Parts: sequence; C-alpha cells; structure tokens
Amino acid sequence: MPAMSFVPNSLFRGRARKVAVRVVASAVMVVYSILTVFPFYALIIRSFVPTKESTKLHLWLPKTQEVSMEAEVGNLAVFYNLDLRDLKDALGIPQTEFIMARTRLREIAAKYELPEDRIRAFFAGFYRYNGWKTLLAGRLYGTSFWGALLRTLAITVCSLALLILLSIMTGYGLAGLRRRYQMTVYNIYLLQMVIPGMLILLPQYMLVQAFLRLFPGYEVEGPTRTVLQMLSLVLINVKGTALSVMIFTSAISSIPQDIEHSAMIDGASSLQYLRHILLPLLKVPIASLVVIMLPLIYNQFLEPYVYLDPKNSTLLPFTQSVVGQFSTNFQVIYSAIVASTLPMVLVYLIFRQFFVEGVMAGAVKG
Amino acid sequence: MLRDWAFILPQLSIFVALTIVPLILAIPYLFTDIAQFNDPQINGVGLRNFLALFTDKSVQADYLPALRRTLVFVFLNYTTVYIFGLTLALMMYEVGFRGGFFTIVYLPLMVSGLAVGYMAVMLFARETGTANLLLMELGVIKEPFNIYSAKGTAFILPLLVGWRYAGYNMAIFLSGLLAIPSETIEASIVDGASYWQRLWRVYFPQMMPAFIMATTMCLIGSFTVFDELVAMGALYVNPEAKLLSVLFFTYGFQVERLGMGMTLAMETFLPLILVGIALQRLQRRLQY
Repeated sequence: MPAMSFVPNSLFRGRARKVAVRVVASAVMVVYSILTVFPFYALIIRSFVPTKESTKLHLWLPKTQEVSMEAEVGNLAVFYNLDLRDLKDALGIPQTEFIMARTRLREIAAKYELPEDRIRAFFAGFYRYNGWKTLLAGRLYGTSFWGALLRTLAITVCSLALLILLSIMTGYGLAGLRRRYQMTVYNIYLLQMVIPGMLILLPQYMLVQAFLRLFPGYEVEGPTRTVLQMLSLVLINVKGTALSVMIFTSAISSIPQDIEHSAMIDGASSLQYLRHILLPLLKVPIASLVVIMLPLIYNQFLEPYVYLDPKNSTLLPFTQSVVGQFSTNFQVIYSAIVASTLPMVLVYLIFRQFFVEGVMAGAVKG
Repeated sequence: MLRDWAFILPQLSIFVALTIVPLILAIPYLFTDIAQFNDPQINGVGLRNFLALFTDKSVQADYLPALRRTLVFVFLNYTTVYIFGLTLALMMYEVGFRGGFFTIVYLPLMVSGLAVGYMAVMLFARETGTANLLLMELGVIKEPFNIYSAKGTAFILPLLVGWRYAGYNMAIFLSGLLAIPSETIEASIVDGASYWQRLWRVYFPQMMPAFIMATTMCLIGSFTVFDELVAMGALYVNPEAKLLSVLFFTYGFQVERLGMGMTLAMETFLPLILVGIALQRLQRRLQY
C-alpha cells in the first residue's frame, strides 16, 4: 500500500477512535461516580427514615408525620427511644408520677389537663429526627458520641504527629541504605507489610495488657487507666509501617549529602540539621504520609474495640455499641454511621488536592 | 554509625516490641491450653493445638467452613482489584488524569470498614435494603438480594470491599503506568500495534512491580478482613460472615480457646507471610 494513502486514512480513524474512547470513558466515569456517591446519599436519607417505613423506598427525606394522639408511650419508648423523663420535664409532669407503658398520649393530655397542642409541640419532627436526637444527646456505657469523637481526634492527632517525627528520624538514620545494619532494619520494617494484623492481635494484646497492667479489673483504675489505654493505641499507631519507612528513607536519600556536610561544617548538630534544613525539604513526603495514614488511624476499629473500656471508646467501637443497644432502631444506627463517617469525609473533600497528590506520590514509592 | 542508631532506635524499639516480640513471646503458649488472657491455670498440652486441625472434630467444624469462605472471598476480592483498580487506571491513563474523578473514586477509602459493612446491610438487607427496593421498583430484579444468605455475603462483600479499595488500587496501577517510558509506547503505536497488543506486550510487562504490589496488599488484606464482617453480624447473628479472622478473634475473646486460636492463626498465616516475603523480593528485583 502506498504510504500517502495510508497516512490520512489512519489519522482519520485515529481521531474518530479517540472521540469514541472519550465518549465511552466519560460515560463510565459518570456511571461510576453515581454508583459511588449513591450509598452515601442513601445512608444520609436512611438516617431520617423511621424504622417502621424502612420497607418502603425513600429517595428523599420522608414527609414529617405527626405523632398520633393514640400512640402508646411504651411503643414510642421501645421503638423510638423516647425518654419518659424528657417527656415529663417538657410537659411539667412531676418525675414522681408513674406512666404506664400502655398509656396513650390522649390519656396523658386528659389526665394532667394539658392541651394536646403542647404534646404535639413536644413531638414536632419526632419521627424524622429521633435517630439523630438519640445519638447526639444520649449516653451509652458511660460515654457519649461527643466524648468518643473527642477521644478519636486526640488519638489521631497525637499518633500522626508522633509518627511523623519518629519516621523522619528513622528515615534519617537509614538514608542511603549503604551499611549492612541499615539494610537489615529496613527489611525488618518491610515485614510489617506481610505480617497480618490479625496474627499479632492476640499476643500483642497479651503483652500490652501485662506490661501496662490493663487487664479488665486490674488494679490501675480511673483516669490513669484511660490515659494508659489511649497511650497503648498511640504506641500501636506510631510503631512505623513499611510505607512510612520507605517514604522517608527514599526522600532523605535523595537530598544531596553536600547540604548536610556544609551544615555540619557551619557547626550545626544533627538535630539542628533535621529541624532547620531537612524538615522544610520534607513537606511532600510528610503530606503523603498524612493523607495515607490519617484515614487508617481515624477509622481504626479492631484495636480500640479490644483495648479500650466501653466508657473510653472511640468513634467506631461506640458506633458498634450503638448498634448493639438500639438494634431495632435503624434510624439511630444509620445516624451513628453517618456521624462517625462525616468528619473524615469532610476533611477529605476540603483537602482533596493534597490527598490526590499525596496518594500518587506515595503510590510511586510503594 | 552511633548517630544512625540514635535516630533509628526510638521507632525501631516500639516496632519490635509490638510486632516481633509478641510473636516470639506467643510461641510457648501455643503448646498450652491457655483459655483466656488472665487464665490462672495453664497446662502444657504438647502438640495438641497444632494437630487439632487434623484430628479435633469441633475445631474442624469451625475452621474448615471459615477457610472455605475466606478462600472464596480472597479470590473474588482479588478479581475486584482488576475489575475496579486496573480498569479505572487504564481508562484514566488513556483520557488523561482527572482530579475530580480521582477524588470520587478515592472517596470510599475515607470510610471505615465498619461503615462499609453497614452500608452493605443498608443497601442489600432483604426487606429493607435501599438498593433492593430501588432495583425492584425499576424492575431490574424480581427477587431481592439477601446480605445474610451464604451467596449474598459471598458476592456482595467482595464487591463492596473492592469498591472501597478501588482508589488505592487505581493509584498503584496508575503510577505503574506513568512510570513506563513514553518512547516504548510511541514506538509500539508507530509499529501499528493494536490496543490489545499494546496492553499485553508493552504495558503489563512494564507494570510488573505494580501488579505484585497490588497482589501483596490484596492477599494480606483479604485474609485479615474483619471490620466489614463485624458490621454484617459475624460475631453474633450471621454465621455466613464468619471468616478466619473472625474465628481467631472469637477463640481469643469469646469462647476461651486462646491457645488454640493463636495456634490456628499461626498455622494459617505463616505460609502467607512466606508468600508475601517472596512477592516482596520479586518486586524489588524487578524494580532495580
């Protein structure tokens, strides 16, 4: 075939093909995006859908329903976690009064000579928001959602800060990987990637409990116990991973040694060099480590579930207790899932640029 | 050299104390009948724990179904690495990097395994699952899926775990693709290679480290999947979600067979660690 006729033809085919590829790819991206976002959307909607309507399809917030005056307080308490003390407080009924479970709201209005509108006002939005109200205002096993959130944030922030510091030091000590012992240490950290967490969970728990004297029922009690339990989680989080070591070793190895030598000649100590010269140069690897480890630490379930007393629990074990406690109230359960997921998702969406760049940089190292 | 050690030791001592030392300290307990963590009386039982897998009926009844479910899960989950991760990475590579789409694909990784498990229940519970209700409304399916059935757990779980890790695997494959020198790709186009040929002869051979990396992570990760299973009721109500990791956990924390649990975990994971190390070595040989 003569070259002249071949070239334009293939060019045309190439362009048509490129357009086709782009159209198909765009379609796939749109469909995949919808499928990815839908579970989040459905979860949020479901946190507003009363359990009794959960067999109906809801793609939008359910209509607000008034609580019927014929409803029995016992049912409201069992299925919607109505707190009778709150009801009595709101209606000005003394706490000493006993209200039978089979009592209807209409009967309460009649007995205590209350206008029904006052009861209606108390129950405004009751069905739609009772999941969120129960979750955010309630207490469970001596803690609340807010306490759990606070502990999660404390553990996450401490762990990340310490992990960065320790990993930079390790990277500095291993930089270059020229000596035999450096290679050995590096290989030990690589083991982390292949040792399943489930394998070390049982013996690790045994060791930490014996060392920190934290067996349930052990002599250490009170705030010390809380601090020690949280400390054990921080230690587990900062022990270093194959990834953290790889990221910093290769980043620090790529910094010319001349810089270090000239700093030393000018009289800087190793720590000064680390603090004033190395640290500013390590912004990218630090960001990389943070965006990869942050969701892992924030979303940790197994270790806190095992190591923490229920009253010291972090978000996910708390969520699990909520599920156990309110197993018939889907609304509370889904509210708890949304509430424990939302902070991390928001941080991700706000800093998405850092996440995308950091993850790609980290993936190249791995 | 002394300076190096001063910087290495702080983290290394924590790492060794919490990863290596527990494994070594555990060894003596593997030969005992230790029942729980503060067992006052521990008796030696020789090799009984190690042989239980082959002789003890009650252990077999727990272990073998869990092993079967785990292997099915590992296999299906491994295919999702390619269905989601590799496909999306190839697409992104061909049409150019899209930050917005990357953000969405990576989004599920911000969600805990526990929440993903509950999402599965929320979507695919037989009578209340939103996805079930929607698909029936649209007439796509006649019978609802049931997350609590054997088949439901076996297929829906890997799908959602694959969906969760899609962004991670995509990043691994994409960085593998981006590392390919563009000359080799241009040369293959000029030589008239079809896309299929390019994939198998140019892309894949040069992406070998990425494949090995994704394999290692998926293999170790799927054998230890736990949080998602808890959400699907594995610890109490749903026996179909009892995979090996749940079994070890139960033996340690619920049914007072700690020594047996640790031994079974060791027997299961030791071969896996050896495979993992072999894969790591292979990857490094290919990279340098």
